[in-house]
Amino acid sequence: MADETRAPQQHSPSHHSSSSSGGRPPGGGPGGSRPPGPRRGKRNYVRKKKVCRFCVDKVDLIDYKKPEILQSFVQERGKILPRRMTGTCARHQRWLTIAIKRAQNIALLPFATEL
Amino acid sequence: MEERLYDLIFICRPDTPEAEIDKLIATLTHAVEEKQAKVEKVEKWGTRRLAYRVKKLREGFYVYMVLRSSHGELFKELERRLRVTDSVVKYLTVRLDEEIKRQEKLSNRREKRNARRPRKTAPAAPGAEQAATAVG
Repeated sequence: MADETRAPQQHSPSHHSSSSSGGRPPGGGPGGSRPPGPRRGKRNYVRKKKVCRFCVDKVDLIDYKKPEILQSFVQERGKILPRRMTGTCARHQRWLTIAIKRAQNIALLPFATEL
Repeated sequence: MEERLYDLIFICRPDTPEAEIDKLIATLTHAVEEKQAKVEKVEKWGTRRLAYRVKKLREGFYVYMVLRSSHGELFKELERRLRVTDSVVKYLTVRLDEEIKRQEKLSNRREKRNARRPRKTAPAAPGAEQAATAVG
């Protein structure tokens, strides 16, 4: 979302340099033709930027012996949540999957929930 | 050969008497020391709920050990013993030294970076403010 709104703004000074984009804050809105406020399109919300939780906490080693932490990266049925859902960075997701799979092996996390 | 660090976790049946578990830990420790390896830590986590049924059990008594050894052969022997023991339902050995080495490297690098530029938060703050106004 953020990229979409910023992309037309970079073009605007070249088209009409004097009139617009003088005192505007960056990322305020594209072009100027559209009124401020919510957009008319379907996606008129700003998606919150997800940040990797392990990066925020500065985790260098994901411990497979702590199922309480791993639990929040697993679906209710036991599937590992994808990165696009949790916002985990690639490196931490890589470590996380290993940790989850180890925890599954020693029955700290389920492979799949039983009926 | 360099020494390596391993985690060894095993799960006993919850109805095993504690004395028997202690005895098992003692025999394992003995086998470890026979190969000039070291037991760094032994933790009894106690009875926990299993995430899934193992040998029709829903609970198990977890024992966690940290070992330092330069003989990979040792773990063949330990795992054989655990397999043979009737009260043990599940076990897992994980080699951890490489991950810990990586962790230390990353932590050291972070510390160094913070030491070089201690006032990293000060110039970042106005930028964050701008971003906040732009979104709002």
